[in-house]
Amino acid sequence: MASSAFLLPVIAVFVLLFAVPLAQTFYFSLTNFSGYSTDVEFVGLKNYATVFSDPSLLQGLVFTIMFALATTVLITVFAIPLAVVLNKRFLGRNLVRSLFFFLSVPSMAILGLVWQYILSPLDTGVVNSILHSLFGADAVAWLAQSTSARVCVILVAVWAGVGWHATLYLAYLQAIPADLYEQAELDGAGQLQQFRHITLPQLAPGIVVSTFLLMSGGLKVYDLPFTLTKGGPGFATNTLTQSIIVQGIAQGRADVGSALAVIFTAAVALIVLAQLAVSNRIERNLS
Amino acid sequence: MSPAARRRLWYWIRSVVMILLALIAAIPLYYIVVNTFKTSQDMAVSPLGLPSTPTLENYSKVFATTPVLRSFLNTVYVTVVGVAGQVFIGSLAAYGIVMRRSRFTAVVGLVLMIAFVIPAQATLIPLYRLEARAGLVNTLNGLVVMYLAGAIFCYFLIVGYMRKLPWEIIEAARLDGAGPFTIYWRIVLPLIRPILATVIVFQTMSTWNDFMTPNVFISSTAKRTVVLQVYNAVGQFATDWPSFMTMTVIALIPVFIFFIFCQRWIVSGLAAGSVKG
Repeated sequence: MASSAFLLPVIAVFVLLFAVPLAQTFYFSLTNFSGYSTDVEFVGLKNYATVFSDPSLLQGLVFTIMFALATTVLITVFAIPLAVVLNKRFLGRNLVRSLFFFLSVPSMAILGLVWQYILSPLDTGVVNSILHSLFGADAVAWLAQSTSARVCVILVAVWAGVGWHATLYLAYLQAIPADLYEQAELDGAGQLQQFRHITLPQLAPGIVVSTFLLMSGGLKVYDLPFTLTKGGPGFATNTLTQSIIVQGIAQGRADVGSALAVIFTAAVALIVLAQLAVSNRIERNLS
Repeated sequence: MSPAARRRLWYWIRSVVMILLALIAAIPLYYIVVNTFKTSQDMAVSPLGLPSTPTLENYSKVFATTPVLRSFLNTVYVTVVGVAGQVFIGSLAAYGIVMRRSRFTAVVGLVLMIAFVIPAQATLIPLYRLEARAGLVNTLNGLVVMYLAGAIFCYFLIVGYMRKLPWEIIEAARLDGAGPFTIYWRIVLPLIRPILATVIVFQTMSTWNDFMTPNVFISSTAKRTVVLQVYNAVGQFATDWPSFMTMTVIALIPVFIFFIFCQRWIVSGLAAGSVKG
């Protein structure tokens, strides 16, 4: 059948790059496969027990979820008001829009490296030198303490992501018919009421799309924490992706790495589905 | 105050606040660029100040001591071939699905939907072994193979657009005796140009910027992509910060140019997503 022939390449991609490796990941996770030896034994759920008893892997899980939640919430909270203002008339509007958007264009890996310099306690560290000249504060090694390193990774991600998501919201804002606001104005609705009863409901589908992208992207994060902190100090900013790569490829523990990958996939599927359910409900409540 | 005067006041408040905000947000970009024209000492004395004696030495040093041009060619190759493959496979699949509805296409559509949720990380370990066995680790073609997984994402963006095409035109072409591939190539592809532009721009950005795949699959200096090259420059220029910043600027210039040329497709792509919801 002719139409099936057009599907052959995508089926090949699916089988070779998705189905077979996913099945293998699942299989490895139940064995003691190191990645090299051919002598493979079935060990049941032992690797899963290892994952849940290894503090470094657990920290990776905790930070990944923390990162995904925090960036989703913060970027949404900043991007919506930013988009609302970007949608109004002001001097240099196009330039300002482009600037915010451009922050999310470079590779996150490169931005992570640059921020490493900016946050450095050495003389190159702009953050410390500004704090010093303003308050006479001593240099702080922001990336050397667990809490501040986590906060820094999240804030850099927010800095880089807000513009992109504001642009996404802007696309939705521009689709709102102007007469809705004119009518509200005639009815005597104030700015805040207009935002609550017109802007927010009309943005609801945008919120679903944006938070979906943020949540699923946040769970898969790797580049930024890796280049900014290498997952440190200790394992404070370790991510699940980093753990999978280190265990499964670098350290020759394909069994544990695979168990981690299976847990990771299940978690991504669960959280993304839950997020879709919650945002659909929010969308319904708003409109 | 009259409403008109109040509106003018808000206009100026907005202008000042937004320009200030944008300038503050852009300080890191200024920081990278301004330090490429300084010496190490100059940068240590005033990381944010203007260079005391502007120099282009960092640029000549980076070009002389790193294979930066080579890594550009590598990235161009991987991105062009990878994205072309993704878009070709994805659009072909969308065409096959839309062309004729059957139980088979329904199953394929469902399977692709499931694949859409599977993160690349879940398949990384077996794919690494697979590529190792096929001799594809540490090769550019090995990266291209990994990037073909993006075809599924392309398929999803394209299939929604294709469903809205006027299929009477295609039916007419078929009655005139055009084969299915001719129809795809001559009629369907030109008709879906807007969504193709969006998909190509998005996939080019993500492929060009990707760090995870090259970091896992590439080990030799000669095969590095630009992002991997910048990552390695941190070690190479451990104490020579201006050279590192210069490397970063060189890496960002093509992305910046691409962004300026493709801005309208990026924004229209976001808007297209908004219509779909």
